[in-house]
Amino acid sequence: MTDINIRSDSIDVEQIMRQIRARIREKRGVDYTEEEIRELAAVKLEKFLDPRGVRSDLLEQFRRKREATLPPNFAFEESTLFETHRPFLRFMRRLLRPILKLFFNPNPLIEALHIQSKLNAQHAALEPLYYEVLHNLVLELTRTGIEVKNLKMRVESMSSRLDFDERRARALEGVVVYRPGAATPLQPPSGPSEAKPHAESTETQERRRRRRRRGRRRPLDGTQGRPSEAREPRSTPHGQESARREGGAGDQGEARQDVSRDTGAPPTGNPGNGDASGES
Amino acid sequence: MKLAVVVQRYGADINGGAELHARYIAERLARHADVEVVTTCARDYVSWRNELPPGLEQVNGIPVRRFRVRRERDPNVFGRHSRQVFERAHSIADELAWLDSEGPASDELLDYVSGAPFDFVLLFSYRYYHSWHLARRIPEKAVLVPTAERDPAITLAIFGPVFRGVRAVMYNSHEEREMIQAATSNHRVPGVVVGVGSNVPSKTQPLRFRQRFNMNRRFAIYIGRIDENKGCDELFNYFHRYAATFPRGLDLVLVGSAVMPVPAHPRIHHLGFLGDEDKFDALAASDLLIMPSYFESLSMVALEAWALGRPVLANGRCDVLKGQCLRSNAGLFYESYEEFAETLYALESNGPLHARLGLNGREYFARHYAWPVIERKYLDMFARVSASREEGQSVETLPNWWSRRRSDQPPATELLRAIPSGPATTPAADISPALDRRRPA
Repeated sequence: MTDINIRSDSIDVEQIMRQIRARIREKRGVDYTEEEIRELAAVKLEKFLDPRGVRSDLLEQFRRKREATLPPNFAFEESTLFETHRPFLRFMRRLLRPILKLFFNPNPLIEALHIQSKLNAQHAALEPLYYEVLHNLVLELTRTGIEVKNLKMRVESMSSRLDFDERRARALEGVVVYRPGAATPLQPPSGPSEAKPHAESTETQERRRRRRRRGRRRPLDGTQGRPSEAREPRSTPHGQESARREGGAGDQGEARQDVSRDTGAPPTGNPGNGDASGES
Repeated sequence: MKLAVVVQRYGADINGGAELHARYIAERLARHADVEVVTTCARDYVSWRNELPPGLEQVNGIPVRRFRVRRERDPNVFGRHSRQVFERAHSIADELAWLDSEGPASDELLDYVSGAPFDFVLLFSYRYYHSWHLARRIPEKAVLVPTAERDPAITLAIFGPVFRGVRAVMYNSHEEREMIQAATSNHRVPGVVVGVGSNVPSKTQPLRFRQRFNMNRRFAIYIGRIDENKGCDELFNYFHRYAATFPRGLDLVLVGSAVMPVPAHPRIHHLGFLGDEDKFDALAASDLLIMPSYFESLSMVALEAWALGRPVLANGRCDVLKGQCLRSNAGLFYESYEEFAETLYALESNGPLHARLGLNGREYFARHYAWPVIERKYLDMFARVSASREEGQSVETLPNWWSRRRSDQPPATELLRAIPSGPATTPAADISPALDRRRPA
């Protein structure tokens, strides 16, 4: 949502509204205003929709037909034919009505027009609903069409970037594995004496790991304080596997901690609060 | 000075926009002049049925003289005439028939006001029978308070001579003045943008309101008739979507009588019609006021919200509300759901913005709509008009019998489309519109 900074005592509503509109455009992804979407829905449907399914000028035709054929409706009661706001004329018509009825019977006509008036009212009440449904449907279809088009473009772009990355990764792997004089492949450690040079080179790290592991384990016997004895079980295949697992996890954990320290970001937790993440 | 305030309905319990406006003005001007209110016996603005007794009575210390309406309005006949003049080519006679069918027709009222020795007659609402006929009968005394909205009636040919013939016009907003001047070319007639103040209490009790109505959450408020014509349908639609997006956002409180169904939603609370005390307490307890109406000549409730330091979220398609938000820097506006959600969220979550808008609202109300300012504008206008009293002032005569029946008037809706729209962003209360008009591109 929009983050509006109020830096001074005076604010300008026009400027705030500009910021809000810019933010809406940014969120929408495509620079279409509501009016533009409406225009697109009315004019260029064939570009987004299946032309066999929906006619592009359907809304326009519907609207034109509706405007052209909308008849004025009014309640038609028994006295409608004879009503007037002039009292004298009303009196005269009432006086002469029996004479009029000698010539023809207006009752069927009145009844028919009364029913017709009711039908017109029903029809008029339903028509805006049809129109609204149709209008919303077309609008949403257009919006969805535009969105699908954008998503397709993004998928294409991402897949091409993925292809490129895969190719690059494969090329790099080839260079790293087969380069002569590169670091020796990993060998399983055979014993404490063989592992010594490696342990010396990374003495500080090892010590840190050992200290942490000691802290985690419960004290079972007196040998736990000696580093060489503590490393001994690693010589077994099972020990190798578990050590690899623990060491790997420890490295990753430390690496994560280092990264978090460097970037200053919190090591865990949601970057935003619950509201913001849920609502944006 | 003896003043008559003529309005279609009047009463302490009648809260229509123009009627309340007339009551406030009558009560305030009574401190400076001898004021009498002349009105009808009607209470219902749709039928003009005579419900109140005719004769003289006192309402809040003001003498009110009521006259019977000759006949009730027939909605079918009025509808037919409205379609004829608004949507088709028509004649002056059709427009007169439309005016006659609209009412409230009371010839006794016209005769009384024409014959009584008033110095000035304040005519409220240009579009009604009494205003049109009195402006033609006594133009030298007539001061018109049009309360005009952007509807096709303003372009009818019968109103042009009235706007050009009265002594003065008291406008509600800059937008209203520009619309009327564009429609009737009455630039020569003295006019001033006044609006109306409000009897806002100096002290409100928001906590009392929260306790009484069990409102524990923060809320936005809508005050007024709950009606599709007031944009409530759109408001409900937008709020539903907003509530789904922001489960812990503001609630919506509705104050006013409903003429359309209010949707059942746990965060929409309809409290019905409230008295002034509760209304102001509710406004003070709210975070902001929402005004979804498309057509307003002046929103009194928006002014009241500003007086209490509450920002307003208005429908940007209403020129008057948008113009007021821009001029006051005390409210935001929306023209689509996205804008509604963003602006409501900004007002809800951005404390400094909310506080600054509220403060601007207070200042805007105090500068333009405090009662001393309004009273001074009315009294200045009376003095100005008295000083330049023109003898033999009259309204242009109607065409002859044959010309009145010639269908040469275009549909009013077409003419309305030709009138420029958009907010007028004039900073001062009464500056020449030609100099200060700034329309969005």
